[in-house]
Amino acid sequence: MKKIIENLGYKFILYEVEYQRKNLTFVTVDKENTVQLLAYLRDYEGFKHFVLMTAVDWIEDGLFQITYILNNPKKKIDLAIRTKILREKAKMTTAHHLWNQVATYQRELKEMFGIDFPGSPRVNESFILEGWDNIPPMRRDFDTKKYAEETYFPRLGRGTNDPSEYMKQKLYPNE
Amino acid sequence: MSSIKDILTPFTAWKNVFKEPVTVKYPLTERPGAPRYRGFHKNDVQTCIGCGTCESICENEAIDMVAVAGFEAKDGDSGLRPKVDYGRCCWCALCVDVCTTGSLCLSNEYTWVDTDPDNFRFIPGVDEKSWDKNELGWKKPEGDYEFYGLKRVEMGELEPDERNHSFIEMIKGYSKQQAEKEADRCVECGICTATCPAHMGIPEYIKAIRNNDLEEGLRILYDTNPLPEICGRICTHKCESVCSVGHRGEPLSIRWLKRYIADQNPSEKYRAILETENLQKNGKKVAIIGAGASGLSAAHYLVKMGYEIEIFEKLSEAGGMMRYGIPEYRLPYDQIDKDINYILSLGVKIHYNVNVGKDITLKKMSEDFDAVFAGTGLHLGRSTCVEGTDHKHVYQSIELLRKITGGEEIHVAEKIVVIGGGNVAMDIARSLARLQKIKYGKVQVITTSLETEEKMPADREEVIEAREEMATVNPGWSPQRIEIVDGKIKGLHVVQCLSLFDETGKFNPQCNLDNKNFFEGDMIVESIGQGMDLSYITEDIKDHLEMGPRGRIRVNDNFQTSVPWLFMGGDTIQGPDVIHGIANGHKAALGIDKFLIEK
Amino acid sequence: MSKQHWLNIGYDRSKYPETGGDGNLIVDKESQKFVKVWQGPNHPGVTGNMSVELTISGDEIVEAKTHVGYLHRGFEKLFERRKFIQVFPTCIRMCVAEPDYNEYNLAASIEELGGIEVPEVAQWLRTLVLEMARLQTLLRVVPGQGGTTGLGIGVQWGVYLRDLILDRFEELTGGRVYHMYIIPGGVRGLLPAGFKKRMLDNLSKIDEFVQNIDNVMYSNAVFKKRTVGIGYIDPAWVNSFGIVGPNARAAGFKRDVRKDYPYLKYPELDFDPYTATESDIYTRSRVRWHDLQITVDLIRQILDKMPDDGQIRAETPNVLHWKIPKGETYVRAESSRGEYGFYVVSDGTEYPRRINLRGPSYTHAVSLLEHLLIGANIADVANIMVSLQTCPPEIER
Repeated sequence: MKKIIENLGYKFILYEVEYQRKNLTFVTVDKENTVQLLAYLRDYEGFKHFVLMTAVDWIEDGLFQITYILNNPKKKIDLAIRTKILREKAKMTTAHHLWNQVATYQRELKEMFGIDFPGSPRVNESFILEGWDNIPPMRRDFDTKKYAEETYFPRLGRGTNDPSEYMKQKLYPNE
Repeated sequence: MSSIKDILTPFTAWKNVFKEPVTVKYPLTERPGAPRYRGFHKNDVQTCIGCGTCESICENEAIDMVAVAGFEAKDGDSGLRPKVDYGRCCWCALCVDVCTTGSLCLSNEYTWVDTDPDNFRFIPGVDEKSWDKNELGWKKPEGDYEFYGLKRVEMGELEPDERNHSFIEMIKGYSKQQAEKEADRCVECGICTATCPAHMGIPEYIKAIRNNDLEEGLRILYDTNPLPEICGRICTHKCESVCSVGHRGEPLSIRWLKRYIADQNPSEKYRAILETENLQKNGKKVAIIGAGASGLSAAHYLVKMGYEIEIFEKLSEAGGMMRYGIPEYRLPYDQIDKDINYILSLGVKIHYNVNVGKDITLKKMSEDFDAVFAGTGLHLGRSTCVEGTDHKHVYQSIELLRKITGGEEIHVAEKIVVIGGGNVAMDIARSLARLQKIKYGKVQVITTSLETEEKMPADREEVIEAREEMATVNPGWSPQRIEIVDGKIKGLHVVQCLSLFDETGKFNPQCNLDNKNFFEGDMIVESIGQGMDLSYITEDIKDHLEMGPRGRIRVNDNFQTSVPWLFMGGDTIQGPDVIHGIANGHKAALGIDKFLIEK
Repeated sequence: MSKQHWLNIGYDRSKYPETGGDGNLIVDKESQKFVKVWQGPNHPGVTGNMSVELTISGDEIVEAKTHVGYLHRGFEKLFERRKFIQVFPTCIRMCVAEPDYNEYNLAASIEELGGIEVPEVAQWLRTLVLEMARLQTLLRVVPGQGGTTGLGIGVQWGVYLRDLILDRFEELTGGRVYHMYIIPGGVRGLLPAGFKKRMLDNLSKIDEFVQNIDNVMYSNAVFKKRTVGIGYIDPAWVNSFGIVGPNARAAGFKRDVRKDYPYLKYPELDFDPYTATESDIYTRSRVRWHDLQITVDLIRQILDKMPDDGQIRAETPNVLHWKIPKGETYVRAESSRGEYGFYVVSDGTEYPRRINLRGPSYTHAVSLLEHLLIGANIADVANIMVSLQTCPPEIER
C-alpha cells in the first residue's frame, strides 16, 4: 500500500494521506487531478473495481468533499480519493467514461447535493425525487424537521416535559 | 440441453402429497412471542423515577414524559412517567436497555386491536393492559451490557498511613482523563438539580467537562454557587444521593467533578472568564455580618448587582465554619482563599476582628446601610450535660477545631472519647487522631453516638476513613456520666441506646439500662451539635422579630425577617451545611435587591 | 450500449434500430414502431418496489430506464439528526431482506473509528446472525427464481423454511424481521437454551429442501428453457459495471468479501465460494443454490466452534453522548447479494457527519439492468431482475 502511495506521489500532488487500515487508505487530491488519478489507478495500478462515490457537505468551510473509493481486487486493497470543491455553484469533472455506474452516482449527487457534472449522461434527470422543488435535500442546510413540520400536519395530543424543568415548576417555582 | 430426465425429476415433488401440511390451521391458536420478544411496553411505575433517559434515547421521538396522577415531584423522582406513542415506536428496546432504574421492559405480547387510534398512545404501567402480567419479553441483557458506566472513576487519595500524621489534603482530585471519563457517565436527566439546595446546573457543568470547556463550566458554577473550590471538597452532595445512575450503579461523583472545574481554572483568570471586570455600582450599601458561606454568597451576588458591600467578621480571617470548623486535610486553606479572594476582588470590603454588638451595634449598621444580612452561623458548642462535663478536660469539638485552625496548641490526651455521630464528630476525631499520631505515635480515639451505625448522620465515607485512620467508631450508646478519680478523667459510662425518637417524632431517647459499657479515656470531647449566638441582636430589635420553631428566627422566602432591613440566612436558618448557606445567601441577595428596588 | 449483444446471435435483427453516433440506439418514438411498457412499480417478483420503463419493439426491448424513489425515506439524511446509537435502529431499514448487514456495518465502522474491541463471543454471534440472515434471504431468492417462471412450489417450501429461521431469529434477537441485535460494541444477548438443537433440526430440513429444489427446479426442462443462456453477463462487465457477489461469481470471478477481506470469525471457518462461468440466469441462480449450502455448512461450523458464554458487549462510552473521533472509514461485508458497505464520516461530534451505503443493487439494478435488458424479450424482464437479486431500498436509501 505504502509503495503505491509513494509511486502516486511522483505523478500527482497528494495532500493528505491517511492510512485508516492496512487495506484502506485515504488520500486528498486537487479537483483538477482527480479524474486523471482515477483513470491512472484503474489502468496502471489495478484498481479496477469502483466501490462507490459520494459527497460530504462541509458547510462550515463552504466545501463539498467528493469521495471515490476504488478497490484493487487482486491486491485486495482499497484506496479512497477525496477532493474538495466549492459549495457555491458546485461543479465537478465527470468520470462516467471510466466506469458505467458512475453516471448513476453523478445523477444522484446532482439531485441530492446539487453538484453538477457537465457531460455526464442523464445527469439532469431526476433520480429519486420526482417533482422536488426545494434545495437539494442532502445539503446540510436543508432542515428535514422543519420541512416535515411545514409539509405534513402533525397529529395533535403530544406533549412532553423536561424532568428538570418540571421539578423546578413543581418544587421551587420562585427560585 | 434438456433431457428426458429434466422432464421426469420434477415429478418427485408429488411425494409431498402424502405428507402432513406444515401450515398453521385456522383459527389461529395462541402463539406466544419468544421469551426475548420485543413486544409491548411494561413499566414498573413505582420503581420508575421519571428521569427521561428513555425519551432522550428514542430515535423516533415516540416517548413523552407526562405527569401522572398519584405521582408527585419529589427528591429523586420527577413525578413524570413515560407515555409511548405506538404510531412512532419501532420496538427497538433501546429505552429498556438505557433505563436507569430497570423499571421499563417489553412484554412478549404482540397483538393489539383497537378502533380508536388515540388508545395506541398509552402510559405503560398506568393504563392497564392485558400484558402487564406477562413475565416474558425483552429485558435489558444481563452481564456486561451497559450503555453507560456504572462504576465510578476511582478518586485517588492518600493511603491511611500517609495521611494519618499530617493535615495534607487527602483527596487528590481528578486528572483530565479521569474527570472526562466520570463526566461521561452522566445521563443528563437533571433529577439532581432539584435536590441541590442551590439548584446548580449539574448536568450542564458536567457536559462542559465532557466538552473540555472548563471556562463555560466555571460560569455555570458561579451562576448558583460562588464557592466552588470549597463546595467541590466538602459539600454534603445531596445531589449524589438522588443521581439516577445510582439506582443500578454508583452515582456520579458530582462533587469531585465540580472541584475539577474549579481546580483547573487559575484564579487570576476568574474575572475575565466570569466577565466581572467592569461591574457598575448602583450607589446602595449593604452590610453583611459574618464572612461564612451565606455571607460570602450574599456578598458575591450583591456586588455583582452593583451594591457596595461591607462584611463584618468577628475572627481574623474570612470563611467562618468552612475555615474554622473543617479540618485542613479536607479543605486546605489556600483553596478557601482562592474562592474568597475572588469575591473580595470584586470590591467587597471586609472588616476583620469586629464583634458586632460590641464594636458596632446592629442599630448603627441599619442606619449606615440600606440593608443588613446576618449569616452568623452556629459557633456555640452544645453539651450533653451529663455528670462530669464541667471538668476542664471536657471540650467542645467546635472550639477545638477553631483552635487547631488558629494554630493554637491544644491539649491532646493519650486516650480520647468523642461523643457525637455527625460529620463534626468525625472531623474532630480524625483531627485528634492525627495529633495523637504525631505526639504519641499511636491513635486511641473512640467515637460514640446515640445513633446506631446505620443511622449515624455522618457521611459514610467519613466513618470509613476515620476507621482507616485507626480511630474507633462505636455507635449506639447513650452517655451516662464521666468517671473522675482524683480530679482525673477515667472514662465515659454509657448504656445501650435503643431509639432516639418517640412515636410523635419527638427527641426522646430510650435506653436499655442493663446493657452498660465503659469507654476509657482521659479527655472527653462533646460534639453533639451547635447553637447560635444572637446576643448581638439588641432587645429593641428583638421585640420586632418574629420567631419560628426551635428558637430560630422566622424569615420569608426572601430570607427577610420581620424587621424589613434585616435579612438572615445560613446555619442559623437552614442547614447546617455549606450548600444551604450558599443557597440562602443567593436567595437573600435577590431578596435584598427586590426589597431595595421597591423601597 | 452497442448493438452487439448477447441475443444477436442467431436472430434476425434487421428491424432493430440503428446505433447513433453517441453509441445509443436511435429510437424514434414518433415512428410508431415503439411501445412504452412499465414493469413495476408494484412488486415484480421479489425485487421490491421499483419500476423499469421499457421501450419495446415487438416484444424486444430497445431501451430500458430504471425508476426508483418509491421507497425513498431519506435515511442518510435522517442519520444526520441522530446520535450514533440512534442510527442503529434506523439504518436496518435500508434493507428489509437482510437488515443485519446494516447493523454489522454500522457497528463495525463505529468500533473502528471509536477504537472498540468486540468480545470473542459477540464476534461469533455476529457471524452466526449474518449467516442466518443470508440463509433466510436465500431461502426466498433461490426458489424465487422459479416463481418468476411460474414454478410456485419451491417458493412455498422456501417460505416455510424461512419462517423456521425467523423463529430462531425471534428467540435469539427478540425480533423476526428487524433483529436489532448487532449493537455497536457487541451484541444484545447470548444463545438461548436449546437454540443449537432447534437450529440443527431446521438445518436438516433445509438439506432436504436443497435436494428437492434441485429435482424440481434445476432439473426442470421448463425452468432450464427459460433461464439457460438468457441474461448473459459478459465477464468484461464485472469491473466496468461494478458487479459483485453471486452475479460476479457466476461470471467466473471468485469474489467474496468473507474470503477477500476477512472479518469477524470467517478466517476460522472452512468454506470455498462457488464460482461458475456461464453467467446466465440459470448459473446465477445455481451459484445462490451453492451459497445456500455453504451457509448451512457455515452455521453448523459456527454452532460447533463458538463458545457458550462470555462478555457480549465491550465497554463503550455512554451511548447518550458517544462522540466518535473525527475520521472516515469504509467497512464492507458479504451480503447474499454481494459487497455491502458503509462509508462513514465522523466530524468528532455525537452525530455522524455522513453515512453512505454502498449496496450491490445500486449498480445491478440501475446501470447494469438498463444495459442488460436491451435486446431481451419482454417476458424475461422479471426473470432477469430476479436473477440480479435487486433490492431497491438500498438504491434510494
